[in-house]
Amino acid sequence: MSNRPSKPKSPSPSARVAEAKKAAGGNSRRTLWWVGGAVAIVIVGALIVAIVATGKSDTASGVVIKGGGTVVPAGQLAFGDVIVTGPPLAPQPENGGTDPAIGQTVPSVQGEQFNGAALTIPATGKPKVVMFVAHWCPHCQKEVPIVAQDLAANGLPTDVDLFAVATSTTDTRPNYPPANWLHGENWPVPTIADNNKNAAAAAYGVGGFPFFVAVDANGKVVDRTSGEITLDQFHQLVESARTGQKAATGTAG
Amino acid sequence: MSTTTASLFFAILALATVAGTVALAAFLVVGRFSGDPARLDPIRVDLARAALPVAWVVALVTTLGSLYFSEVAHFVPCKLCWYQRIAMYPLALLLAIAAWRRDLGIRVYVIAQCAVGVVIAAYHSFIQAFPPDSGTSFCTVDAPCTERYVWQFGFVSLPFMALCAFVFIIMLMLVAGPRRGASASAPTGANS
Repeated sequence: MSNRPSKPKSPSPSARVAEAKKAAGGNSRRTLWWVGGAVAIVIVGALIVAIVATGKSDTASGVVIKGGGTVVPAGQLAFGDVIVTGPPLAPQPENGGTDPAIGQTVPSVQGEQFNGAALTIPATGKPKVVMFVAHWCPHCQKEVPIVAQDLAANGLPTDVDLFAVATSTTDTRPNYPPANWLHGENWPVPTIADNNKNAAAAAYGVGGFPFFVAVDANGKVVDRTSGEITLDQFHQLVESARTGQKAATGTAG
Repeated sequence: MSTTTASLFFAILALATVAGTVALAAFLVVGRFSGDPARLDPIRVDLARAALPVAWVVALVTTLGSLYFSEVAHFVPCKLCWYQRIAMYPLALLLAIAAWRRDLGIRVYVIAQCAVGVVIAAYHSFIQAFPPDSGTSFCTVDAPCTERYVWQFGFVSLPFMALCAFVFIIMLMLVAGPRRGASASAPTGANS
């Protein structure tokens, strides 16, 4: 008998492979548990943050803003009844150039506000600026708060009427309904909900959003423009309506 | 869950993938220029194991989010949205199979497909962030690709979310590959 310690019996090659696979399988499962847990935490965390952050919704209603005017009602009316009296304005030219509607008389537009109350944008009377907005239009979404904040800070003009028309409304596009959007922006301008044929927009020859029309006291179009405009340009539109002369520096259109 | 909540939820997830992309990119750079790249092999092996399942989750969540916005929130997908969908939707299935089979051979196909998605999503993100301006910027029914259905944190739009997902999946596929010059110890192919 030998005194030498016996050599430990080495495992067979197949056993070693099985052992390695087992170890690798254990590590793999552990890794997946860690990564899966991290992914789940990220997803659940994002969900909680989103729910908490959007839970603080604005519920103001019927608020009289500092500068005068009343925030449009949230209402449920997406489309109102619209009656247009008088010939429509020529459509705005697509490629710029002279606007054929300048000097034309605007039609009268009878419509409904978001709460169903009647509102008329008369053809004549006081000078006015009419603004057409679409709830899904990002440029309108940027323009509305700019104008709303200016009106809240400085007040609505007393010698020029402001009107708005929420048009091209569709529940297949975001930010629907327009009433909730404008209400949420504390929009103080009396607003008509256009009908589902966009009759009010067609009557003013709307060519893009947002769309502005400056009208003098005789009902004649002084200036029209589409697209985002600066606050200065908005004030120029008001001035154009007030004076009956297009402001010298022009507008964004 | 309201559309606003869902938008914020997916925007946060998009930012999470940005963080993941940055972390993975940092790992790749460190591994590339490290004096002893083999030191990172244990992490590399773990990342390689997790890459396919995580990529599958990203593709699945992106697909479900896309379907939510079109089918529940009724956001009409534009042409560019559809091209991105074509690039993303198949990944939700293919990566599931690859993750199940631990088939890292899919990496090259996924990277190629995601690269196409990255190009389209990057362009779409750009025109949503900076709408084409020909003297004035306005919305028409004919140009819905510039509509920001979602606009979170001042820059996260739907195509930006897709861009984040595509880039993150590409990064996952890259870290799942073998280290340059490494022996065959790192997992590189179908698990037998």
